[in-house]
Amino acid sequence: MKRYNPILALFAALVISLTSVVSLAQQTLDRTMVPAPGANPVLKVPTWTKTQLSNGATLIVSERHNLPLLTFSMTFVGGANQFEPVNKRGVASLTASMLSEGTTTKTGDQLSEALQLLGTNVGGNVGGEDGSIGFVSTSKNFEPTLALLADMMLNSTFPAEALERLRGRTLVSLTTARDQPTVVGAQVFAKVLYSDAHPYGQRATEASIKAITRDDIVAFQKAYYQPGRAIITVVGDTTALKAKAAIEKGLAAWTKGGDKPSFSYPKLPELQPAKIYLIDKPGAAQSVVNIGLPGPPRNTPDYFALQVLNTILGGQFQSRLNANIREQKGYSYGVRSNFAFGKGPGPFSAGGSIVSDKTDLALIEFMKELRGIGGERPITDEELKTAKDSLIQGLPARFASVSAVGSSITALAIQNLPDDYYQTYAKNVSAVTREDLLRVAKQYIDMGHLAIVIVGDRSKIEPTLKATNIAPITYLDIDGNPVSGGGTTSSSNQ
Amino acid sequence: MNNKRSVLALVAMLLTVCFLQPTVAQRSSKSKSAINIPFETYKLPNGLNVILSVNKTTPTVAVDVWYHVGSKNEMTGRTGFAHLFEHMMFTGSGHVPYGLHDKLTEGVGGNNNGSTTNDRTNYYENVPSNYLESAIWIEADRMGWLLDTLDIAKLNAQRDIVKNERRQSYDNQPYGRVGEIFAAAMYPKDHPYSWPVIGSMTDLSAASEEDVKAFFRLYYAPNNATLAIVGDFDPVQAKTWIKKYFTDVPQGKTVERPNVPLGKLTASKRLVYEDRVQVPRLYIQWPTVGVNNNDDTALSVMGSIISGPRTARLTKALVYDSQIASQAGAFQNGDENVGQFQVVVIPSAGHSLTEIEEAVDQVIRKFINEGPTAEELQRAKAGLELGFLRGLESNLGKAEQLLDGLVFHGDAGYFATEYQKTLAVTAADVKRVAAQYLGTNRIVLSVVPKGKREMASKAAESETVSIVLGAQGGNR
Repeated sequence: MKRYNPILALFAALVISLTSVVSLAQQTLDRTMVPAPGANPVLKVPTWTKTQLSNGATLIVSERHNLPLLTFSMTFVGGANQFEPVNKRGVASLTASMLSEGTTTKTGDQLSEALQLLGTNVGGNVGGEDGSIGFVSTSKNFEPTLALLADMMLNSTFPAEALERLRGRTLVSLTTARDQPTVVGAQVFAKVLYSDAHPYGQRATEASIKAITRDDIVAFQKAYYQPGRAIITVVGDTTALKAKAAIEKGLAAWTKGGDKPSFSYPKLPELQPAKIYLIDKPGAAQSVVNIGLPGPPRNTPDYFALQVLNTILGGQFQSRLNANIREQKGYSYGVRSNFAFGKGPGPFSAGGSIVSDKTDLALIEFMKELRGIGGERPITDEELKTAKDSLIQGLPARFASVSAVGSSITALAIQNLPDDYYQTYAKNVSAVTREDLLRVAKQYIDMGHLAIVIVGDRSKIEPTLKATNIAPITYLDIDGNPVSGGGTTSSSNQ
Repeated sequence: MNNKRSVLALVAMLLTVCFLQPTVAQRSSKSKSAINIPFETYKLPNGLNVILSVNKTTPTVAVDVWYHVGSKNEMTGRTGFAHLFEHMMFTGSGHVPYGLHDKLTEGVGGNNNGSTTNDRTNYYENVPSNYLESAIWIEADRMGWLLDTLDIAKLNAQRDIVKNERRQSYDNQPYGRVGEIFAAAMYPKDHPYSWPVIGSMTDLSAASEEDVKAFFRLYYAPNNATLAIVGDFDPVQAKTWIKKYFTDVPQGKTVERPNVPLGKLTASKRLVYEDRVQVPRLYIQWPTVGVNNNDDTALSVMGSIISGPRTARLTKALVYDSQIASQAGAFQNGDENVGQFQVVVIPSAGHSLTEIEEAVDQVIRKFINEGPTAEELQRAKAGLELGFLRGLESNLGKAEQLLDGLVFHGDAGYFATEYQKTLAVTAADVKRVAAQYLGTNRIVLSVVPKGKREMASKAAESETVSIVLGAQGGNR
């Protein structure tokens, strides 16, 4: 209302006549005037209570009564990277799937039917550094659904035939994944950065899935699903007291045990001079590009600076990378960059899918933007302001649903962040300076040691890629192993 | 002026009430049921439909505009046009320079996007509540003044991006061409649902600046559009802004809605497509009905009885009992005017697509004969309420729900009707639609690895698909 007063216009319209509103508005409305925003809304961070259950698990409850539903999630600190033997990668996910295959009192079909009648499903999985099991239910179905979850987690019988069925399905998925250029690109990128010796470079393979026995599953379940490392988060239409009572009762059979694992990772392989790793995908319509190197862990003091940096570089639609490579050049449907931030050195990566015959030109632009953010193209005041505004004003959206509230609160507990993290978020983002950005860009986007992993049609893209002289080319297969006889364009870096 | 503000505000409120009241079409009942979205609708004199729904849970708001135009309004030779046009809507307009839209959305912690289907095109902004006015301003400007800044250079730039979208989402995706193969096989050439939303590379190249302008003038007029605002906002204020920015967007010609015939197969078709994949897949599709037909509901219920949870018919028989498949799915896909029921199965290692097809047929035949049990029907409906409640959590989800109702069913409150209709589906209804639609006239498509034509189900009786270019879907 700074530039145009609709109340005045309306009043005038009333005085003249109703029908003249249109023409009057035309006379007075200057459409080039950008409407000014109202005052920033007050940030309403949900409140929560945090207590311990008698078995040692942490319980967080956040009340939200606008709809008669709630979410229950149990998160375990530590995941496949901490609990899986290297030759049995995949046992964590298989165990999580096996929890719905039957208990001492119910078959898999009976569990499924009971959950269908409650209108919900209990789902779980184990990722690299944490795992979870949980559900969303109507508030009235909370306790019966919790009872089924407890039965699955504590009394599963792990039938051998179910393991064989799930093993077969997993093997089919692994084969299907090999046909997906984006999946192959991500897997080979991880292997190049971290090697087979680091958990970040490992994954389930046909061999590891075939090696898993029923005993491995039983052992994993016993070792992993322990209250000592569990964070239970309940958000929705309940109260802290009611939820605690229901959970103590529902999980009464779950006794003390386990603790939070240490996240000590092996040393990273020595950084290699920048290199292009080319994986041939004959007939591919596009080249899948991933550029990057190992980055800092989530607990780095540079976290906020890196968030701002990435927002400017490649976190958004109008970030430098996408504005250039998609919007100006038209080489791609979308490109981005990201810092993965694990408990360990999660990767920095930049990339996207590029039309095959522009792979070289797009790579040149990627390198230009990465050098640019490192100082060749200074960050403007406007870029800095927009990035900070975007991060700070995006905060309310993190509390938009019971599931969003649940994961926002749980994330603090998993990463050992302070309870007032969201209240102090704006202050921390605001404090980032241009000097900070330049320093972290130089430190974490190390141009001399970038791995450039490209999955594409070698016959179409190799000659022009070579001509860019950006880096020597090494040839890998879709598992990330050197191609015998593939040759390299330069032996100096081998 | 300040000293007069309170008086003026009162007058303005009165005026707003007078001006808008006669066109208030409906207000949802104050129902105690959880299946409820409070909303109001009204129409501007230029034909723009408006839906407002307030929810103060989070200080954010969604602005969502549907234009009742999709790929089915295209002509042969210009396929992909509606979606290409969707991209043009993000290139700036008469008073909003390129880039400002993103700055006023993602630059303030929100986001924006658009999408195109066969039937409609949508554009939305999710923004902090204090940026509602600028979002309304942007939507009005591109509705009224897009052509002021549209030129061939912009068109060519977006054409390249759309071609990349096609490559990324369809051509370079394993099994990515299935949608367009079915569209072409199910409907006769020239049928509005016979081409894919993304269109063909050739047609995308052929679109001219004049095509774009003519398309805009006809379909992007307020009388073919519906604006929904959902979230934490003041409706009185919002109405003032809507009036301010949209009132003088000129009304367009009335859009003709042709009578679209349903898909009809006079015989079964067997197709095989060789793709860059290692694992084959079997797809079966039957022509059904669209969302404007009552049978759509029973067909949807049938989908959740046939596949989904492990006790569902097809899933249990193929994935759990015989274990000849690693995954199986079945669903009714209802468009506005037509629909298809589709089954898709990924075989387990060592099992052929021929074996899979026979097993699917057995399950379907048995289901047609028996219909569902009372328990199956009960389980299929038990998750409805929770599913609905979860949809209410997001402003955009709610906006889409209300828009879908108003645009396709003439009633923003159609969600409640649909809920009741689904609850009312009987075992006899499901049995009847199974018998009526899952007949022998259908399309069976085997997708097999390149050079492995013999892996198709009943390969000798199947015809090889050699498709040109095109595919389903499309997001900005």
